[in-house]
Order: sequence, then C-alpha cells, then structure tokens
Amino acid sequence: MEYYSYVNIFETKGLEYLLLISFLVFFILFLKYFFSPNDENE
Amino acid sequence: MSIKGVVAFEKKGSLKYILHEMKPRGKMLTPFNIISIPIIILGLVILVIRFVKGLGAVTNLSQDYPWGFWIGFDVVTGVAFAAGAYIITFVVYVMRVEKYHSIAKITVLNGFLAYVFYAGALILDLGKPWNIVNPIIGNSFGYNSVLFLVAWHFLLYMMAQLIEFFPVTAEWLGWKKVKRFMSTLTLGAVIFGITLSLLHQSGLGALFMMAKPKIHPLWYSEFIPLLFLTSSIPAGLSMIIFESTISHRVFRDIIDHNSHTPFEDIIIGLGKGAAISLFIYYFFKAIIFIHGRHWSLITDWWGVWYFIEVFGFVLLPCIMYANGVKSRNLGLIRSAAVITMIGIIINRLNISVITFNWNTPVKYFPSWMEIVVTLMIIFIEIWVLRWVVTRMNVFNYEDSH
Repeated sequence: MEYYSYVNIFETKGLEYLLLISFLVFFILFLKYFFSPNDENE
Repeated sequence: MSIKGVVAFEKKGSLKYILHEMKPRGKMLTPFNIISIPIIILGLVILVIRFVKGLGAVTNLSQDYPWGFWIGFDVVTGVAFAAGAYIITFVVYVMRVEKYHSIAKITVLNGFLAYVFYAGALILDLGKPWNIVNPIIGNSFGYNSVLFLVAWHFLLYMMAQLIEFFPVTAEWLGWKKVKRFMSTLTLGAVIFGITLSLLHQSGLGALFMMAKPKIHPLWYSEFIPLLFLTSSIPAGLSMIIFESTISHRVFRDIIDHNSHTPFEDIIIGLGKGAAISLFIYYFFKAIIFIHGRHWSLITDWWGVWYFIEVFGFVLLPCIMYANGVKSRNLGLIRSAAVITMIGIIINRLNISVITFNWNTPVKYFPSWMEIVVTLMIIFIEIWVLRWVVTRMNVFNYEDSH
C-alpha cells in the first residue's frame, strides 16, 4: 500500500504555494525597485 | 515638385492626387531596395507555383506536419508582435496617458499592416484557399473550432484598426468631414479592438490545445492561451521599441521632434512595461512547470532547450530591461528588446514547429521557398509602411483624432 506524505512539498501543492508567495514578495520588491524615489525625476 | 504635381497636390482626394502620390519618392538604389526587390520577385514566383501546383510543390509540409513555418512564424509569431497596437491604444485612448500619444498612430499602422500581411498569410497555408470565406459566409461555420473565433477576430480587428487609422488617411486625402466623423469612432474602435485582441491572442494559443500528444510536455499546457496572451505584451512592447528605434533613424527627416515627450522617455516607459510583463510571464512559466510536475523532463536536451528559452530569453531580458530603465541606458533596453523578440520567435516556433511531433522520427524543416515567401511578406509590409509614412501624417504629434 502506498502512503501519501502530506509534508512532501513535491507531492502536495506546497511548492506551488511557496512559489506564489515568493512571487508576490518579489513582485512588490521589483515594483519598488522601479518606482523608488531616484526614478521619479524622469 | 512639377507643375502637374502641384495641381494634383491642390486637389486632395482626387484620383490625380492619389495617382501622383503613388509614384516612388527618393533614391531607388538603396541597400534595402537592392536586397528586397529580388526576394519579393522570387517570392511572387514561388507563390504562383504554390497556387498552381499546390502546397507540396513548394513546402515541406506533410500529413504529419500540416502546419509549418508559415503558420508558426508568419501568423502565430507575427500576431504576437502586432500586440503593441492594442497595448498602446489602451494606454493612450483609454487610460489617457499622453506620454505615448506621439507613437500611437505609427503603432496602429504597424499593427494593421502586420495583421493584413501576417494573418493574411494564413491563406497561403490553406490547401483550399477559397474555403477561407467559410467561417464568414456560413458555408461551414465550425462553431466548435477555435479557428472560427480566430478567423472572425482577425477580420473584425483589422476593421477596428482601419477605423482607428482612417482619420490619418482622411487627412491625407483632404476629407475633413470624413476625418471628423471617423475621429468620433476612434474610442469605440479602440475598446472593441482591445477586447478582440485579448481573446484572439490567447485564441492562437488555444489552437494548439488539441495537439496534446504531439507537443513536448514542457511546452504543452492547458494554460497555453494564458501564456500566449501574457507573452504578447512584452512581444508587442519590444517590437515597438525595436521599430521606433529604426524609424527614428530612417525617417528622421519627417519625424516631429517637437513632440511633448522626449523619445528617450517613451523608450524607457515602454521598457518598464516590458520588464514588468516579462516578470509576470516568467512567473507563469515557473508555476506551470511546477504544477505540471515536469522535473523528470529536464534531464535531456529538450530540458536544456527549455531552460535556454526561459532563462536566456525571458528572465535575462527582464533583468536587462530593469537595469536599462533604472540606469536610463537606451542601448541596454534596445538589446533587451531584441532578445525578447528572439525569445518570442523561439517560443512560438517551439510550440508550433520545433517540439511538434517531438516523439516521432518524422521531422520537419522549412524549405528554402517557405523562407523566401516569409521574407517576401516582411519586405512587402515594410514597403507599404514606408509608402504610408512618407505620405501621411503618421509621426506628428498634432494628431488626427
């Protein structure tokens, strides 16, 4: 009988959730990089 | 200008005026003309053979490869590059960002010509080209086919773009009332055009959803339509950066340099949009890779090729755009635009040609005649574009809308 490991991020959707969260963090940082004060004098 | 020319010029909109404007201007023996004219003539000869003897006489298409270079490059890639029109018209006419107003007309013209020539190239690839009217006249609508949606969208979008550009044509012809009337339709046509674009950009991707067993799983996904739509944004923006850079050199004498926004700022703004859209596209690629559990597929050469596409032609230009925008380095932004465009070509060809039938011994490579016809289409488009911009008020900010 095969057992399903709930803590294995490869078998569950854990990796997808981690990627999504990291994307949101990186996206905010990416936008902040663009719109930081020294860029406003364009 | 000769006396006849002056008389014709005074009677704008007359047949004489139009015939006068048809005459070539400038030097004929330019490097571009010397290269393009023989290719156009050769391409036309090949097209005659294609329509007389059929597809098999000039292409390497077969029952295993019914769609080849003409669909993969001309239609699927060409339409992605034409996306700049719906992005810029949305920004200028809907969001009212005046900064990009000076490039709106040339972008719409480019988009329109791209659709006419590249989407029009679809007719070359039909075994029975006269059947192209079937989705329109109802002989065999094919409601269930994505191609039905794409056919109608191409037709309607070309009409929408024609309406968007018509005030410029009316101004050229001296039709003031027509220009005024057509200008009132612009916003409606823009909104209609954006709606159509969003659907058929993704619709082109949806065409490949029925080919699941044939496309390599690293490229096949149920989210192909979303990927096509997302990637069309950096494709369109990169194309605008690339072509406006060339236009500013080739047509520098007729460009209005008193535009409200410096050209440099426009390129940087476009670069910013391209960087953000590439970032989102890269994320989509990553999450689709993980969602599809493709870890086992990256151990062979297909995996290497996949990572070259994703890292080399999505992530790398994204970083280049970001750095170029931040440091106001136009050279870096233009390089990123070229790399993005190559990446889009690779991506579209990967799905439609390169990884198609990846698991069968039958392979397809376009014949030299297919490549010549593709070059012919590109060159004719550039000829028409050049004819229009040297006669109509396309580059000036004081616009026709």
